[in-house]
Amino acid sequence: MKQHPLCTDPDHGPTVMDLPIMEGLKAEWAELETRRHFLGKAGKVLGWAALASLFGDRVLTGDARADNVAVPPSPQSLRLPHFAPKAKRAIYLFMSGGPPQMDLLDYKPNLAQLYDKDIPDSVRGAQQLTGMTAGQARFPIAPSHWAFKQYGKSGTWVSDLMPYMARMVDDLTIIKSTNTDAINHEPAIMLLNTGNMNAGKPCLGAWLSYGLGSMNDNLPTFMVLLSKLNPKENNQPVSSRLWSSGFLSSEYAGVGLRSAGDPVLYLSDPKGVDGGVRRKMLDAVNEINRQTYQELGDPETNSRISRYEMAYRMQTSVPELTDMSKEPQSTWDLYGPDAKEPGTFAYNCLMARRMAERGVRYTQIYKRGWDVHANVTGILPVLCQETDRPAYALITDLKQRGLLDDTLVIWGGEFGRTVYSQGGLSPDNYGRDHHPRCFTTWMAGGGVRPGITYGETDEYSYNVVKDPVPVRDFNATILHCLGIDHNKLTYKFQGLDQKLTGTTPASVVNGLLA
Amino acid sequence: MRFSKVLSNGRPIKPVWVASLLASVLLLLLPSIFRLDGKTHADWQQFLGRFHPLVVHLPIGLILLVPLLEMAGRARPALLEAATFILSLSVFSCLLALTLGYLLAYGSGDAGAGLARHMWGGILLTIGVLACALLRGASGGLRGLYPWMLTCVLLLLAWTAHQGGSLTHGNNYLTQYLPEPLKRLTGMGTVHAKTFAYPDSFYAKHIYPIFDANCVACHGEGKVKANLRLDSYDRLMRGGEDGAVVIPGDPARSTLFKRVTLPPDDKKFMPSEGKPPLKAEEIAWIKAWIAQGASPELKTLAGISVREEEPPLPQVADYSGMMGQISQTAKSAGVTLVPVSKNLGDGLILNTVDAGTKFGDAQLAGLEKFAPYIVEVELGRTSVTDACFATLAKFSQLRAIHLEGTAVTGAGLAKLTQLPQLRYLNLSGTQVTQAAVAPLSSMKSLRHLYLYNTPAQPASTVADGQSTARKEP
Repeated sequence: MKQHPLCTDPDHGPTVMDLPIMEGLKAEWAELETRRHFLGKAGKVLGWAALASLFGDRVLTGDARADNVAVPPSPQSLRLPHFAPKAKRAIYLFMSGGPPQMDLLDYKPNLAQLYDKDIPDSVRGAQQLTGMTAGQARFPIAPSHWAFKQYGKSGTWVSDLMPYMARMVDDLTIIKSTNTDAINHEPAIMLLNTGNMNAGKPCLGAWLSYGLGSMNDNLPTFMVLLSKLNPKENNQPVSSRLWSSGFLSSEYAGVGLRSAGDPVLYLSDPKGVDGGVRRKMLDAVNEINRQTYQELGDPETNSRISRYEMAYRMQTSVPELTDMSKEPQSTWDLYGPDAKEPGTFAYNCLMARRMAERGVRYTQIYKRGWDVHANVTGILPVLCQETDRPAYALITDLKQRGLLDDTLVIWGGEFGRTVYSQGGLSPDNYGRDHHPRCFTTWMAGGGVRPGITYGETDEYSYNVVKDPVPVRDFNATILHCLGIDHNKLTYKFQGLDQKLTGTTPASVVNGLLA
Repeated sequence: MRFSKVLSNGRPIKPVWVASLLASVLLLLLPSIFRLDGKTHADWQQFLGRFHPLVVHLPIGLILLVPLLEMAGRARPALLEAATFILSLSVFSCLLALTLGYLLAYGSGDAGAGLARHMWGGILLTIGVLACALLRGASGGLRGLYPWMLTCVLLLLAWTAHQGGSLTHGNNYLTQYLPEPLKRLTGMGTVHAKTFAYPDSFYAKHIYPIFDANCVACHGEGKVKANLRLDSYDRLMRGGEDGAVVIPGDPARSTLFKRVTLPPDDKKFMPSEGKPPLKAEEIAWIKAWIAQGASPELKTLAGISVREEEPPLPQVADYSGMMGQISQTAKSAGVTLVPVSKNLGDGLILNTVDAGTKFGDAQLAGLEKFAPYIVEVELGRTSVTDACFATLAKFSQLRAIHLEGTAVTGAGLAKLTQLPQLRYLNLSGTQVTQAAVAPLSSMKSLRHLYLYNTPAQPASTVADGQSTARKEP
């Protein structure tokens, strides 16, 4: 290449310094340049020092390849836990819509005598209701249509709707006093999943991925399983906001498996494209992405590279994960016939067990349809039939395989339902509106105390009268079981040390712990 | 003077000496006249008596001033006069504190060895201060018997005050937070473990500790209110002044249960005097324990699950200097060695999920040099064989071993009995037999043994679909 006549440095092209301009101005520029350089470099050095400390072992052991130096590897998790955890992984069975607590676990024998009586004003207080029942002239009490019996050594009352749950009450930690601040689906489900009613915050799974990191190379740390819709049920939408990583790196977001067709779209090689071609294509795309990163320095570019790589590895790991042909007959006997049909709640529960075995840190299953505003006696049995046996099967299966010791299973929706009937009340049927003041959830497995019921509600299952568990405490307790101090798992964003449990002080519910 | 007598040596006996002698005798006889019988008496006595803890600080302060004034009086003689005055004041404040204290004990029906010590201390102290005042009057200053008497009084004051403090705050109040080395040096502050006839019983493990923390301060050796002591099973069952407090099988009629479940503002509520009420869980335990026979032997109660205090995790040696070496070795084996937590002492977990069947006995043996730091090995679905047991037996820190879905048959499984801390062993989906597993039953630490889908799985559990072999703790 021909040397530029003004260029004094053969290694670098001409700069402004080479231009024939006033020396005084040059000196001024040089100073500016120096300061910029200094600050820029200082920033980079600090950044690198932080990175090196974050995953020092890889860098120190000579793993850093040339391209890794050019493009810093994607952000690494914090490699917590803070203290030795009871649970290494968690499975969240999310009952979207709000299951009616008094029809399932929160037994209120007195309600039968109060059929069609108005709920006392003193119980409701000055509560603002949803638009769906605020206009009702009366709030007639609708006792549960189903009988309850006591089960297990713990003598827990369980509705006849949940015959399978009745068998495992001694393994469960039932919380009757969970309560939330939101009365409508979207804010309530956001609050449960992300600790905040407004969208944009990382969800529990993202925080866990960020805090604890992956336990395997070939499957995502955080997986989401959506269960198929049943058109008979009143399904509320769930969106990827619920498994988003918010302001954390998008690597920590949940990866969904589809409920029908290919579990992951476009994962299998298209016709005429073999693995080698795919690899070459990926390498080329990654190269372009690396250049983009060098130009713009957006860490999300790196997340993209690592996600492509994960997808590539999932080409082999996902078919193995979803191939259930080697499951013995006993599995199908346990989970029931529904489990053979991809996308059912039963199938997803079985999948959650398989993912737990393969080192997936956190699995969230969504089952929609619990929003029983009307026709409770028609729809609730269907919902229970779909979910009762699989949840029992999952707990039993984890238990028999020795996985329940270090897996935390969580069951619950975004709120409860009202004791008074929405719409008409008849001896045969009733509806129930949203109810944030109390709802029943349960946990099982690593870290929680089996065979207990925590918290109490009043005789109308309307207000918590003992040991309330607000959402933030519920989430703090989940983090605790996984060895995380919820006050220490933070990320600085918008001038605040953001955390899952939010700014209102939260506390771990010691009464739930093993 | 009309009342003055003359001693043989010709010196007159002052009436104040006679009065003092009489008062001392009366004081010494006081406990036999109004016996502390453990029964409560008039309310006015308790009302006045409760000023005892307030008033009692007056004589303490005054008596402590006396030696100071005596010494300072050498430089400023005017202070010697003050000493005379303070000493007389001490006598009266002692009498007042003693009276109130006695009213408190008598009125509220206190009794017990600690109380008796405090009471006798108070009586002797009052007599001692009285003697001091008389001796000082006779000698006119720090001369003769007076300094000796004053020393005795000061020592007695310290002892009596300590006895009183122990009554209100409990016996180990002062020594509870004594620094550990000092505790060992002095032998103080170490709580002597109480011995029980049935140390594993529910009573010994869960009921007695409730009484010990909440009741024994007033119903124990130191203080025996209402003639009731809860510091042993026999005394508990014997009851107090109103008879039995525990009626086996009938919590509703047991005074003890009734008293702790009254509304907290009830006069008869226990623990009394604003002490924190028992926790709901403790009340539930007491209720269940009484309902199920109030037995000193029974180990578990139906319907009551008690959280077990877990001992702190054993810590492994510091391996921070070997981090590079550890990750290098792990990497070459295609596995990871992950810290259990940020606290390195919690040890490392061997995670082989990415290596899968590429990980075998040879690779495991290659990690042996890190054995002292590894507390858990996840070998599920790897190609390790029975040869792994010999290697694993050298991993002395192991708490958990996962071998599910491997080709092990159990030959050599008995070697694992050498692992003192092994709590969890998962052999699900292997070919281990009942005979191979049998030696493990000698392991005290092993709490969770999983044999799902193995020939060793007990037949009964196969039948009902509950295939977990989970050893009960």
